[in-house]
Amino acid sequence: MANLPPESSPVFPEAAPRRRGFLTQAAAIIVGGLAGLIPLASSVIFFLDPIIKRRNSAGGSDGFLRAANVSALPTNGTPERFVLKADIHDAWTLYRNRVLGSVYLRLMPNGQVIAFNDTCTHLGCKVDYQAANKRFFCPCHHSAFDLDGKKQNQTPPRDMDDLKVEIRDGEVFVKYQNFRTATPEKKALAQ
Amino acid sequence: MKALLDWLDHRTGCKALMHEVMNEPIPGGARWRYITGSMLTFCFVVQAITGLFLWCGYAPSTQTAWESVFYIQHEMTLGGLVRGIHHFAAQAMMVVLGLHFFQVIWDGAYRAPREVNYWLGLVLMQIVIVLSLTGYLLPWDQKGYYATKVATNIAGSTPFIGEQIQQIAQGGPAYGHHTLTRFFALHAGLMPALLVGFLGLHIYVFRRHGITVPESAEGKPVGTFWPKQVLYDAVGCLIVLAGVLYFALTRPAELTAPADPGEDFPARPEWYFLFLFRFLEFELISKRGVAFGAIYVPGAIMALIVLMPFIGRSKLGHQFNRLMLVVLLVGVAALTALTIYEDGHNESHQAKLKFAERDAHRVVELAHREGIPQNGARELLVRDAFAQGPRLFKRHCASCHRFDGHDGTGQRILKAKLDADGNAMKDWLGHPISEEEPATAADLKDFGSREWVKRVLTDYETTFAPLKNAGEKGQRFLDGEMAGWCKENKAVLADAANADSVKALAEFLTAQGGRTDLEPFDEQLVAIGKDIFKGGALKTGMLTSSCTDCHAMKLAGDTESLGDGAGPGYPTLTGYAGQNWLMSFLRAPGHADFYGDNNIMLDFDTSRLSDEELILLVKWMTGDY
Repeated sequence: MANLPPESSPVFPEAAPRRRGFLTQAAAIIVGGLAGLIPLASSVIFFLDPIIKRRNSAGGSDGFLRAANVSALPTNGTPERFVLKADIHDAWTLYRNRVLGSVYLRLMPNGQVIAFNDTCTHLGCKVDYQAANKRFFCPCHHSAFDLDGKKQNQTPPRDMDDLKVEIRDGEVFVKYQNFRTATPEKKALAQ
Repeated sequence: MKALLDWLDHRTGCKALMHEVMNEPIPGGARWRYITGSMLTFCFVVQAITGLFLWCGYAPSTQTAWESVFYIQHEMTLGGLVRGIHHFAAQAMMVVLGLHFFQVIWDGAYRAPREVNYWLGLVLMQIVIVLSLTGYLLPWDQKGYYATKVATNIAGSTPFIGEQIQQIAQGGPAYGHHTLTRFFALHAGLMPALLVGFLGLHIYVFRRHGITVPESAEGKPVGTFWPKQVLYDAVGCLIVLAGVLYFALTRPAELTAPADPGEDFPARPEWYFLFLFRFLEFELISKRGVAFGAIYVPGAIMALIVLMPFIGRSKLGHQFNRLMLVVLLVGVAALTALTIYEDGHNESHQAKLKFAERDAHRVVELAHREGIPQNGARELLVRDAFAQGPRLFKRHCASCHRFDGHDGTGQRILKAKLDADGNAMKDWLGHPISEEEPATAADLKDFGSREWVKRVLTDYETTFAPLKNAGEKGQRFLDGEMAGWCKENKAVLADAANADSVKALAEFLTAQGGRTDLEPFDEQLVAIGKDIFKGGALKTGMLTSSCTDCHAMKLAGDTESLGDGAGPGYPTLTGYAGQNWLMSFLRAPGHADFYGDNNIMLDFDTSRLSDEELILLVKWMTGDY
């Protein structure tokens, strides 16, 4: 543009009625907008796929996974961590018998087994068991829970998340679920 | 709103910029012919948008590239559409690029003072070509894999530094993870960045010189970019988008089977490179080496194109450039048309494409049904009877047998046709003419089905006719006892009154295979067939001898044989044409239970056919997949 004096540019020779100018302008915006918007909108919807399509990623038919043999649990009620394995769909890949997560199991005096998800309800770190203090303790922000999973300080928003347990032929099966962190109420996440 | 704009303008000067952009003077006013540049920019923007979002779903490695594209295409919301837009907008970009280039030459827009901008445009053209080449590989499917191999091998034919160039491009001496990571980085990172940079320069220099105005527009009043030219440009862009959407919605972007270095593929480059592909095929060119046809000649033409601004200084030079442009375009069009014509009339090529399509459909079906294993989707096909059966048939059976007239994979088996003097004959394009190689054993298309059994009983001659090409031992079958039995009983079996009997006998025999892919068997018919098999009594008349007179058979679950047959060399029919029968038969057709001393077929023992291969072949033949 430098080779043309700027004064010469805003020449509107078609001193046409304003309406025609307006129509052209409106049409240009609509047509151009449409051309740009269609690919953009399709792409954005594609991007939002995770909240549009719900997919099941793992778990047996009833969601219960084998965790351990009852005989593997300490008889004095000390919690012990066990991994859970399942066939996992990670996007396109089907992983056979892969570690899904881990849980604490406790054998109670009455023979029952209780299970906690070992994910901290605060912000999702893995909670340790401190044998010396007989408590669960999260290394990230020092959440502490007693052996029954009750919170012992104000860091975690709620107690540890307990999981449904069934004992089938001496094997402990746990319905493994993850829950939203950082909220007072226990809300299961879609698997 | 206005206050906000003023605030922003005070700090950025955006109003002046907008004014500058929108009020570009257009001598002679807005014209449709000025829209191609904007259309190209639009194509790039569409590619940038769809590409960035596709990036969110793509995983470049040899075990995840195909798989992630499969997931985008078949599982994710609008994935097929977004990929389709990206796929077809790339092609639209090539078309518009050609148009833009043509216009620049034809209208003389490459001449002084616009030479530099012309060269910037040529750089942009190269960038778009690299984008197209690199993008073709990313799905890591058979088509992209083999077509790109050709491209990198061409790069490897560069004199002196070819090997290095090829290895740098591939990330090593062979294709692998790093080929994909590199191509992806080029495709989604480096090239788009370069394109944006050069496009900025291109537009900047373009604005400096203004539009190239045709003579007809001289003397007419000056218009501005906004709003009329913007509207024209927008309409052009919308037309491009409409075309892209039409294709994206009516034909999904192709995803062939996962790349497999062990399986061939009738690879062709994307249609806009077909001319180069065909050019390299000319004997005149190919005999001078790959570098000549793929690097020197295109390089020389490119050099000439680069020099066009100098050539075009005179009126005559400009006419020369125009002529060259037309010659090039006609040449490209002719070569493209020739390739399409030749491929279209190449039966073998078409059959290969069809077979490849069969794989592509199958692997998607398996991925949905079974899930993709950790090692990638290629494994699904490798252990699939439906995919491997035809290949095994082709390798092991088709030298004698046929499958529906072909080799199992859809290829007819041909040999060179010779003229009277014994020379190979050629057609008008110089391609050799071929003719069918006669089979020497039966066509096994519907082997083991009701139709097959009926045909063996009532028309043995035709079913086994190819044996006449198998020499004296083959002829022995056609003159043998079973053939004789069929001749003796032809009339009675063809008798309309016995139609139900024949049907029952066929039902009984077919049921022995225990196949589940056929129509369910009629128990009543099977029972009637069993009596005929053993006793030979039809509805009207008798068979000259019953089946059990020659053939041994034991029914599944029975302890006693239905018949013991006539001894070695009379094939046992226990479980006839079922998987176990077929496996035993293929392993040792010369066993006393089968053809004995009469056998002319090869033993497919484990040295020829592994257990896994045998199972795949037999499962395919019995429809169990």
